[in-house]
Amino acid sequence: MGRYLALRVGQAALALFGVSIVVFALMHLVPGDPVRAALGTRFTPELYEALVERSGLDQPLVVQYVDWIGRALVGDLGVSFRTGQPVTTMLAQRIPATALLAVGAMLIGLLVALPAGIVSAVRQGKAADYAANTFSQIGVSIPDFWYGILLILIFARVLGWLPPGGYRPLTEDPGAALRYLVLPAVTAGVVTGAILTRFVRSSMLEALNAEHVRLARAKGLPWRYVLRHHVLRNAWIPIVTVTGLQLGTLLGGIVIVEIVFSWPGIGRLALDAVETRDYPVLQGAVLLIAAVFLVINLLVDLLYARLDPRIRVGAST
Amino acid sequence: MSGMLVRTRVLALSAAFALLLTACGDGGGGVDLDDPGAEPDTGDPGVEGEGEAAGPEGGTLVAAIGGEPDQLNPLTTTSSFAFTVLENVYDTLVQPGEDLQMEPALAESWETSDDLLTWVFTLREGVTFHDGSELTADDVVASMEYIRDEGANGWRLEAVDAFEATDDYTVTMNLNRPAPNLLEQLGPFKGMAIVPSEAIEGGTLGDEVVGTGPFQLTSASADVIQLEAYGDYWGEGPYLDGIEFRIIPDEGVKLTNLETGEVDWIDSVPPEQVVDLEGRDDLVIGRTPGNDYWYMALNNEREPFDEVEVRRAIAFALDPAAIAEATNFDAATPNETAIPEGSFWYHEYAPFGHDPEQAQQLLDEAGVDGLSIDLMVTNEFPETVTGAQVIASQLGEVGIDVRIRTEDFTTWLADQGEGDFDAFMLGWLGNIDPDDFYYAQHHSEGVNNFQGFADPEVDQLLDDARVEVDDDARKELYDQAAERIVDQASYIYFYNPDIVEAWSPAVSGYETRADSATRFVDTRIEN
Repeated sequence: MGRYLALRVGQAALALFGVSIVVFALMHLVPGDPVRAALGTRFTPELYEALVERSGLDQPLVVQYVDWIGRALVGDLGVSFRTGQPVTTMLAQRIPATALLAVGAMLIGLLVALPAGIVSAVRQGKAADYAANTFSQIGVSIPDFWYGILLILIFARVLGWLPPGGYRPLTEDPGAALRYLVLPAVTAGVVTGAILTRFVRSSMLEALNAEHVRLARAKGLPWRYVLRHHVLRNAWIPIVTVTGLQLGTLLGGIVIVEIVFSWPGIGRLALDAVETRDYPVLQGAVLLIAAVFLVINLLVDLLYARLDPRIRVGAST
Repeated sequence: MSGMLVRTRVLALSAAFALLLTACGDGGGGVDLDDPGAEPDTGDPGVEGEGEAAGPEGGTLVAAIGGEPDQLNPLTTTSSFAFTVLENVYDTLVQPGEDLQMEPALAESWETSDDLLTWVFTLREGVTFHDGSELTADDVVASMEYIRDEGANGWRLEAVDAFEATDDYTVTMNLNRPAPNLLEQLGPFKGMAIVPSEAIEGGTLGDEVVGTGPFQLTSASADVIQLEAYGDYWGEGPYLDGIEFRIIPDEGVKLTNLETGEVDWIDSVPPEQVVDLEGRDDLVIGRTPGNDYWYMALNNEREPFDEVEVRRAIAFALDPAAIAEATNFDAATPNETAIPEGSFWYHEYAPFGHDPEQAQQLLDEAGVDGLSIDLMVTNEFPETVTGAQVIASQLGEVGIDVRIRTEDFTTWLADQGEGDFDAFMLGWLGNIDPDDFYYAQHHSEGVNNFQGFADPEVDQLLDDARVEVDDDARKELYDQAAERIVDQASYIYFYNPDIVEAWSPAVSGYETRADSATRFVDTRIEN
């Protein structure tokens, strides 16, 4: 297990290094001048030159990269071109909001997907299956900003039950925090749930059709027992994997939801940074999301090893 | 204002800031670049009470803005959202009053020499910064020098050679040329704020927000900025206990927040909804003709746009009223010049109208056929994207093929700077003084003359007007310059949009201003 862990961590670190190069290169390839964007339309050439020099943009790209990654390794992601604040500070301020939203959305997604996927597999071809498929089809096809606005209109404006966006930290007033969380979490969660429903259904179907399950049923074991011990246990593994991947995707795709719901998270920060070519902030945000994604995957792999001893054994031989 | 002269200028619109910026609202928030924040007036019909009226005291106003300020240093930020907040925290030497005329603020009075080369400002005594320290001439000198050397608006001080603290309450400015619009440069918005000299020396400007304004900043996070009334404010007010600014990027959601009572004031309204909303009694729409203007420019350095007749043909083919209608619905006034009606500097001149036949004839005469135009617009300002479609359709009627290129604003700015376009549509926001409307954009040496317009007659008029000390004579020069600029189609002007904000009926003592300055010093709220 120790070797397996070391191997996976090593792979993750290597992947992160690759991500850092790609992010850096892509950022600098995108047209647009961050200094011009920061200064606006009226500025003197002296001011422009001074800012270019201060931001290090006059250095060769390789030098800029080495400088950046060197400092990133010791936890210094640089300073935003626009705000002058350390990138780590800006990210740290926004992590709690994005984490809360991602976890909330994932819980809602699972709450929908597990029962819907399981029922739809078990009742394949029946009404419940069609209903679940329809939900999933709608969920993946309709854009989340549209659901978001619809939910705001219904629950905030017409019914007045929930606030139309905004954020309250969990640490200050958990009750209020949850009230503000419901609509954005449902919005992001519906899409996640719709996608997961399909995976849950298909992995359940696969497990249901496995030979040992048919054997178990043939033996006359009770259906519920078979479901719990023979079907779910096996279906569980792909579901865990996809859930992990989905959480990563959710983090990357939460931008729109953050904007619609005035949620002060990493996604919105990253979008602002793209628009103004605030390289340090964008690089920091992408690196953070990539790191979280890799850590989640690592955890999923480890969880796997726990769920299925064959994986652990296979890797350590 | 005293003595020797001080011309009480009618600069009605004066302060200028030129900015391209804006705060306009797109759904995603808009903005930034240089922005204005300041003050002039507006003649607006105010929808609400006047500041002094009696009313409740106390309470917190919850205000929604469309984006996060990039920073809280008023002297280096270019974000309109930053100015919406900082308008209430900082002061300038002078500031635009209701009619956009400059009035005393931190400077109680000023005198100038007859040649307008020496200006002496007398500061108000007893003004304190939010940290309790007293404002003195040293703070003013330090602020001005910082603005000139490192500020985003250093160009406003290019006529000034030296700033000197003659005594604790007197600041002398020595100019290198007469600057009849110096006040309009010193006070148009909080990008020219006076900050404590210690903040500059200590390098804490922006990290610590210490002004002399009616409110002091107590906290700022990614979603909320809190201001609290400053008890020792030098002027009347404030009447609120505080202001909470919340960042709500989506326009529709922002409006819903107002409708549900989550917020009391919002900084913009979707243009298509303005008319409907004006009929409702559960909210108040503040709307006033603004000083911003939207225009199209053709690249004078490319054929065939180097020929004035081709540029004029395009101007004849376009219909500013249709473009204004498409982009702003009812909330804009078509105008074939830059300066809006209502300004002292307004000059009625509309030689083009919408005349496709004339356009066709000019094109035929110029021997131009099968022309194709690369029109650059940006989704940062959705009105340019919408406007481009109308432009394309109207130019299509005279056989010109318009290819619309939509870019994000950073790319757009870079392409504009490099002259990589046949045409672009954009706006300038928040100008007050005519020098700011015309010089940088149309003088052959102007820093914002991206279209490459060069006309000796316009140069001469703008140079002369810049140093003309008599207002009427100065206006005459600008009228001539404006006609020449329009006739030569350096810019093809479309319209002046209204500034539109909205608030709850519980709010009183607030008015929407032509310069979009958001001043809450007289505001009250019923709880």
